[in-house]
Amino acid sequence: MRYISHEDFGRLLHDLERDYQVYVPCRKNIHRYYRPYAGLTDDVVIGEVRAFEPLKAFFFRARQKVAEGFSPDVVHGEDRPVCIVGAKACDLKAFAILDHVFRGHDYADPYYARAREANLIISADCTYAIDTCFCLALNVDPYPREAFDINLSPLDDGFLVETGSQKGTAIVAGRAALFADAGEQRTRDRNETRRHVIHAVQKNIEQNRIPHQDALEGAVARNYEAEIWADEAQTCVECGACNTICPTCHCFLLYDQKGKAHIERFRIWDACLLKDFARVAGGANPRPKLWMRLRNRFEKKFDFFPKVAGMYACTGCGRCISACPAKIDIRRILKRLVNHA
Amino acid sequence: MRSGMNPYRPIGAEVVDVIAETPTIKTLRLRPDEKINFRPGQFIQLTVPGVGEAPFTPSSPSTWKDCMEVTVMRVGKVTEKVHQLKPGDIVGLRGPYGRGYPLEAFVGKDLIVVGGGCGFAPIRTLMYVLLDQRSRFGKLIFRGGCKSPADLLYGKEMDAWAARRDLDLLITVDQGDAGWRGPVGLVTGILDGIDIDCENGVGILCGPPVMMKFSTRKLLQLGLREENLYLSMEKNMSCGIGKCGHCRLGTYYCCKDGPVFNYTQIKNFPDIWG
Ligand SMILES: Cc1cc2nc3c(=O)[nH]c(=O)nc-3n(C[C@H](O)[C@H](O)[C@H](O)COP(=O)(O)OP(=O)(O)OC[C@H]3O[C@@H](n4cnc5c(N)ncnc54)[C@H](O)[C@@H]3O)c2cc1C
Ligand code: SF4
Ligand code: SF4
Ligand code: FES
Repeated sequence: MRYISHEDFGRLLHDLERDYQVYVPCRKNIHRYYRPYAGLTDDVVIGEVRAFEPLKAFFFRARQKVAEGFSPDVVHGEDRPVCIVGAKACDLKAFAILDHVFRGHDYADPYYARAREANLIISADCTYAIDTCFCLALNVDPYPREAFDINLSPLDDGFLVETGSQKGTAIVAGRAALFADAGEQRTRDRNETRRHVIHAVQKNIEQNRIPHQDALEGAVARNYEAEIWADEAQTCVECGACNTICPTCHCFLLYDQKGKAHIERFRIWDACLLKDFARVAGGANPRPKLWMRLRNRFEKKFDFFPKVAGMYACTGCGRCISACPAKIDIRRILKRLVNHA
Repeated sequence: MRSGMNPYRPIGAEVVDVIAETPTIKTLRLRPDEKINFRPGQFIQLTVPGVGEAPFTPSSPSTWKDCMEVTVMRVGKVTEKVHQLKPGDIVGLRGPYGRGYPLEAFVGKDLIVVGGGCGFAPIRTLMYVLLDQRSRFGKLIFRGGCKSPADLLYGKEMDAWAARRDLDLLITVDQGDAGWRGPVGLVTGILDGIDIDCENGVGILCGPPVMMKFSTRKLLQLGLREENLYLSMEKNMSCGIGKCGHCRLGTYYCCKDGPVFNYTQIKNFPDIWG
């Protein structure tokens, strides 16, 4: 196990800026947002919990130009790839879903595929939990186990460093002077923090009686006609925030506009809670009611994805809970689905 | 990156002819810059530059070399602009996408093809293939329904097909007019008397959801087997390649797993006719 001091970590990021646009999570009030790296200032928080915005935004952009005219070229900009620091385990888990969607099937999305190859992920353990965290219920530990290049476990005097890919290993090996042997005490400290965070998430799960994912099998189908949906959707204002903020929500719309010289096609995030999402010609809508669209969101995450990809499309990150202006709470809905006979 | 690597880009296609079929339906003959090989039942995405894209099923024989036709009903934003296109205009095409009709599964069997409204488009392509290879199949029955005689598509083909002795064709209209001598009423009404081998007969349905719902029910009542029914399902689509999430139908995406489905694949999903 390797160790890096705060100072040397600053040097590492500075060095990585040559090849990458480096983003670090910064704290503002109660939230953390990714910001371009500008030194390890006081507001940079590598540990803590997940950022406000989902990690998918760096790989599957909210708005991406995907075609220009009839040119066969893939419209890649000249920008350097992105290095994201401080990504959390729940967001890394979402790659399993996003990879399935964008890299799978007969066609790969060239933009997502390239971002996955070129971007660098320096993830980090969570150092505490907030009350919306329930990752463990979805079998996600609050510290990264996979899908990172380098992982950091925050310590008082720096970070414990683990590598998870060839790219990560090469970066560490190529800058050996920045790293030292971690030693046993630091490893013990890390394990202690991890236990602590696990305990905090467990407490969240117990207090809110959130079902474990094993109890979710068939729960949506069983409750397809239940009144739960209409009941829960009563306060929904159809903003689509639950969709856009979710690290696994992947739906998009191709949107054309007239460019300067030719047409431009954009791939923009879409949201299945919005009325027109499934509307077809002549105005017919298979999901005309809000509650049907709320149900659709849960059907997709807890029925469709387990059947087609063998995994639930929820990481327990809790973002949709904090983002919903209507206080619609996925934890409460899952509980109702499981408890309803 | 190489051509063909960008699944979102359309190729150019020139509009070479525009045929007004009915007051709301036009057929466009297009000549794509690169050949698009499609199978009956597959669809393409058509771009009107600067306006947007919409999915359509080619309605021309899949054997044509340089051109393909799409038959488009004017219903909204994109289709409105499609109707304004003139020969010489350039549109974009992506595809073909999805799975077409499993023709091999039809060989040696009696076939009943049921079409309604604009559902005639994919069926025209299929009919060309079936008639081309007529001897490979058993009886061939076509039952169509549309609003009024003025809404009937492909008048020329229909006349030619009606004259064929190896095709039992009947069209019904919701509302007749002075010159109409055919049946009046829903398409389900003209399914009753069909003479078909129920054990092996294959039903192929394409049209508006209500028409498909009741025609499916009817064919099952007549004794056709669930596993011998094929339906073209229409869903909102954007990407056409199983990524955008718009066209989900149960555990499938209509664009990549359909649009033609075997009835047994989808019958247990809730609200399939929605
Ligand atoms: C596989 C498939 C094959 C089709 N084949 C034919 C055909 O051969 N002939 C024909 O006339 N029509 C066909 N349709 C229907 C045709 O695609 C719609 O009529 C068309 O998309 C309507 O677009 P619009 O912009 O004119 O309508 P609007 O109502 O203005 O549509 C606005 C938006 O709603 C969405 N939308 C509405 N209806 C549909 C729809 N049916 N599918 C996808 N998105 C929709 C789109 O996002 C669109 O941008 C087919 C549809 C599918 C899915
Ligand atoms: S559904 Fe909610 S809790 Fe689950 S991954 Fe999406 S935003 Fe996070
Ligand atoms: S965030 Fe809440 S209010 Fe907004 S669409 Fe989702 S459930 Fe409805
Ligand atoms: S049209 Fe995008 S998933 Fe089918």
